[in-house]
Amino acid sequence: MTDVVKPPIEAPKPAPVPAPPSDSVNLTIDGMPVTVKKGTNVLEAARTLGIDISAFCYHPGLQVVAQCRQCLVSVEKNPKLQPSCQQTCGEGMVVHTTDPQSTLARKQQLEFTLLNHPIDCPICDKAGECTLQRLYFEHDNADSRVDVTKVHKAKVVDLGPTIVLDQERCILCSRCIRACDEVAGDHQLEFAHRGDHQILTTAPGAQLDNPYSLNTVDVCPVGALTAKDFRFTMRAWELEATPSVCNGCATGCNIEIHHKHDRAWRLVPRHNPDVNKYWMCDEGRLTYHELREHRLAGALVDGLPAGWDRAIRAAADHLSPILAASRQAVGVVLSAEASNEDNFALGKLAKAWGVGSVYVAARPDVPGRADGRLRVADVNPNRRGVQLIAEALALGARPIAELSADVRCLVMLGAELPGVAPARLAELGIIAITSHERGAAAGARIALPAAAWAEVAGTVTNAGGLVQRMHAAFAPPGQALPGWEAVVRLAQATAAGAAGKLSYTHAREVFKDMTQTVAAWSALVWAREARPLALRFAGSRG
Amino acid sequence: MSAKVLDALKAAHGAAIDSVETQHGDAIAWVVRDRLLAVATWLKSDPAMAFDAPVFATCIDRLDWKPIDVPPGPPVYPASAGWTEDRPRFEVVYQLRSTRHRHRLRLKCAVPEHDARVPSLSSLWPAFNWQERETFDMYGISFDGHPDQRRIYLYDEFVGYPLRKDYPKEKRQPLVRRDDLPINPIKVPGGHR
Amino acid sequence: MAAPSTPTGPGDASNRSLKQLVLGRRDVQDLSDTEQELPSELMTINMGPSHPAMHGTVRIVLTVDGERIVASDVQPGYLHRCFEKESEYATYTQVFPYTDRLNYVSPMINNCGWAMVAEKLMGLTGKLPRRAEYIRVIVSEMSRMTDHLTCVGASAMELGAFTPFLYLLKCREWLYELLEKVSGARLTHSYVRIGGVGKDLTPNFDAELTLCLDQIVKVMVECESMLNHNKIFRDRMAGVGAMSKDDAIATGCVGPIARAAGVDYDVRKDYPYSVYPELEFDVPVGTTGDCYDRYLVRIEELKQCIRILRQCLKQIPDGPVMVDDPRVALPAKAATYNTIESMIRHFKHIMDGIKVPAGEAYAFVEGGNGELGFYVVADGTGRPYKAYVRSPSFVHLSTASQLIHGHLIADVVPIFGMINMIGGECDK
Repeated sequence: MTDVVKPPIEAPKPAPVPAPPSDSVNLTIDGMPVTVKKGTNVLEAARTLGIDISAFCYHPGLQVVAQCRQCLVSVEKNPKLQPSCQQTCGEGMVVHTTDPQSTLARKQQLEFTLLNHPIDCPICDKAGECTLQRLYFEHDNADSRVDVTKVHKAKVVDLGPTIVLDQERCILCSRCIRACDEVAGDHQLEFAHRGDHQILTTAPGAQLDNPYSLNTVDVCPVGALTAKDFRFTMRAWELEATPSVCNGCATGCNIEIHHKHDRAWRLVPRHNPDVNKYWMCDEGRLTYHELREHRLAGALVDGLPAGWDRAIRAAADHLSPILAASRQAVGVVLSAEASNEDNFALGKLAKAWGVGSVYVAARPDVPGRADGRLRVADVNPNRRGVQLIAEALALGARPIAELSADVRCLVMLGAELPGVAPARLAELGIIAITSHERGAAAGARIALPAAAWAEVAGTVTNAGGLVQRMHAAFAPPGQALPGWEAVVRLAQATAAGAAGKLSYTHAREVFKDMTQTVAAWSALVWAREARPLALRFAGSRG
Repeated sequence: MSAKVLDALKAAHGAAIDSVETQHGDAIAWVVRDRLLAVATWLKSDPAMAFDAPVFATCIDRLDWKPIDVPPGPPVYPASAGWTEDRPRFEVVYQLRSTRHRHRLRLKCAVPEHDARVPSLSSLWPAFNWQERETFDMYGISFDGHPDQRRIYLYDEFVGYPLRKDYPKEKRQPLVRRDDLPINPIKVPGGHR
Repeated sequence: MAAPSTPTGPGDASNRSLKQLVLGRRDVQDLSDTEQELPSELMTINMGPSHPAMHGTVRIVLTVDGERIVASDVQPGYLHRCFEKESEYATYTQVFPYTDRLNYVSPMINNCGWAMVAEKLMGLTGKLPRRAEYIRVIVSEMSRMTDHLTCVGASAMELGAFTPFLYLLKCREWLYELLEKVSGARLTHSYVRIGGVGKDLTPNFDAELTLCLDQIVKVMVECESMLNHNKIFRDRMAGVGAMSKDDAIATGCVGPIARAAGVDYDVRKDYPYSVYPELEFDVPVGTTGDCYDRYLVRIEELKQCIRILRQCLKQIPDGPVMVDDPRVALPAKAATYNTIESMIRHFKHIMDGIKVPAGEAYAFVEGGNGELGFYVVADGTGRPYKAYVRSPSFVHLSTASQLIHGHLIADVVPIFGMINMIGGECDK
């Protein structure tokens, strides 16, 4: 006679809930009801309620592996604890995160993770933005129970051209492995050995050199992977974060500029599901270096320093007779590397002057750069924006390589004039509104200092036509002003008639005028200046 | 004790009270700006309330308000919701005490940025004379009916309102010429505007 | 209109104008050359901010008629050091040194007030270890004593009594020595922490404080004998700067000034906090609210402080001086250096600050000058979103204009001294 196993006594069925729309699910977490889209995991559902379940290996942009077992929760009718990152929400599911069993399990998992973790906080780059620190402090805070020698592994492993690995700090969450596999599409990292000797290492025959390698530093919850570019330069808690847009190429990845003491220390990606999700490429990350190279901090007249007033007067004295004599002799160059506002202001001025020709200067495409992920061949951040502006103002803009032989004087935005022979450059009288003193601007007749992209409030338009807002992180060096403001000063000095009397006093006024002129942008709204966010008090980024 | 005060207040003034709450034992009542003077007068004169002692008057600038780690639960404005443009930026706060009944009350009044004015309560409680001047000095809130609205801590030529969140802490405005100090060494991000 | 009277000989009664008869004043044209008086106009003179009697730099612009004040404009702010703005950029623990510099003659009380508001926001009120609470009361009362000793001593000196000043400051010096042993500094203690105090009392503290108090009692007998019935002192203080009870309440006065006016309000009795309910002490209340009453109230409070201190020394239990809550307590140093858990905890405490849950609270203590309150709006991070100090000195200074009205310039000195306007607290 077989024993009859009676089914467990079921709780009385709850009152019937009206059938939800087919793509959402109702469940209860910690006694609070929540409705989420089908397929959402319990961790994300809890986050919408403000419940923070500790997790290391889960990342919303990467595949779920439930490797770290940190996010264990109790699900009713399930005898074992479930990893909430992997547990899909089910209709009527009841989840508990504060019950003693799952709370103990999460604390024990943290204790386990910390067993062999080196006492590196004072020298670790991640200190201040470390997920392990945050989760221990917020979810555990128990004292150590053991006093044994920790397992030692290699401390400074050169993984590739950009990253250094500290194997002891690695908590084996595998986020970096998945980041390389999924974001870069290149399997370059993997685990070796097992147990408490398991280490992260490069795949056989490979090194970590894909163009998205620095994303692994972002996703690493601890200080195991550090960027050679950033390590030991600045402490994370000193930094302030300002949202902006990368000016490295036409993708326009959303970024945060991390800055302090009036300079940028690193760029990190900002989540945008439509543009770059959670990632950005290494080249873009390193574009902050050029903010401090060859910067023009004061106006130059014939290569010698001058104040703004003298430079504007010199520019007006140079320009006005030529304009009066022959409009064909003056050319205006818009730049695909400058913001929409700068280009619009100069375009309007060009129109008011009635110059013969308007050109667009853009850096040439980099063949082979496009990889179907984030990088594209067009390395100009704002080519599309300039095109739209030029069309809306009916400027008839042509590439600068088609520079007309009649032009004797150029008013240009930016520093480079690609495609123009040096001999031709030498005979032009150039008035350059530029942030950098290089290229054509180095030999300009008059150079007016402009603020760079990280120092202005403005917009750029990416390849897909999306207009994105940049916020100013710090003040421009020396006497540099936003490009549109230089244009306004030039306009007022050259008396270009009523249409040319540009009187903008703030970037939002330029923006307003611009969105009224460019039909495609008529619905855009200028967002308030982003408030500086001190990373120290903003909660960990991990 | 605070619950009784809040109930009586709501009963007597209904529509003038936007909401009431209790935080850490302190009674807080949100009053509509136009009715602030009427409510305050009643609070002082009504024998069951008898708020005769003024404690403090100040202002909160919610521009950077973005609370973190708020425990889950029903949201209580403004504790668990970050500031958004559609909400009034300032909250003028008055704390009152009653010597007779020993209860305390905090009055709050939401003030939008573009119309930063509040009726002055200095006619009811003279202590608020200086404290409203201080709030004007630091936050730029104008108090209608204040007999002597001028700056109190800072010199009259000072430009700006320093305790507002968008006034940078490092900004310098020396009144007298100082050749040893560069004026405003740390510039406002975004340029000079 | 009557023609102006032409000058005639002196004492010619028939030519006296109505103004002369009624006001006793004569116009210039009524006088002969030998009788020209000084023009009697109101004079505007400036008192401070750099002035020996304007403690802590306050400027009073006086409009006087001879020696009598007819109008005054009190202008504080010369010591404004942006406490509130700086607090918004510092962690809660980093604000303690700033609070030291508020009422800088009773810094421990400011420390305690700040700790109390953070504890109120975190729900730790009443959960502190009893030894920590007793230590807080001990150092607070010692600070109250230093406040009153300074106030009375300085006021006496400004009226010409230099000896009591030196005697009382000698007492203050004994207290400072003890406080320096306990906290490391004479004035900028930063001794209190959220959740308790920074470190325990020194080993021989009991005996040293008892000796100190015994000596102070003797010195105070001497000083009282010099001042209480001193004709000059009484004439200059009694009846000067009187304030009625209703005025005191309406103008927000608290502390010794309100108590001198008859308002029986002491935070330690009316809204007790810490271990004050377990201590026996009286609250002196005056009648007339003039400077002499304020002086008497302060002298009596000094005696009550001594009484409280003696009780505390008897009742203080052994035990920890910091609450055992990992959210606020730093781990032991040995553990910090040798375990990753304590290292992380120490790191997060110092760098992120103590995370105070979002909300707002107003916590107040009985400072040397009365109800000293901190109104803090917290946003869940380690630094306050807004930290407002309800400083009693600021409120009391606002009454100064009213108090000195109609008095002589010389009366400004005792009135101002007895208001005990501490510049650091007034100007924040």
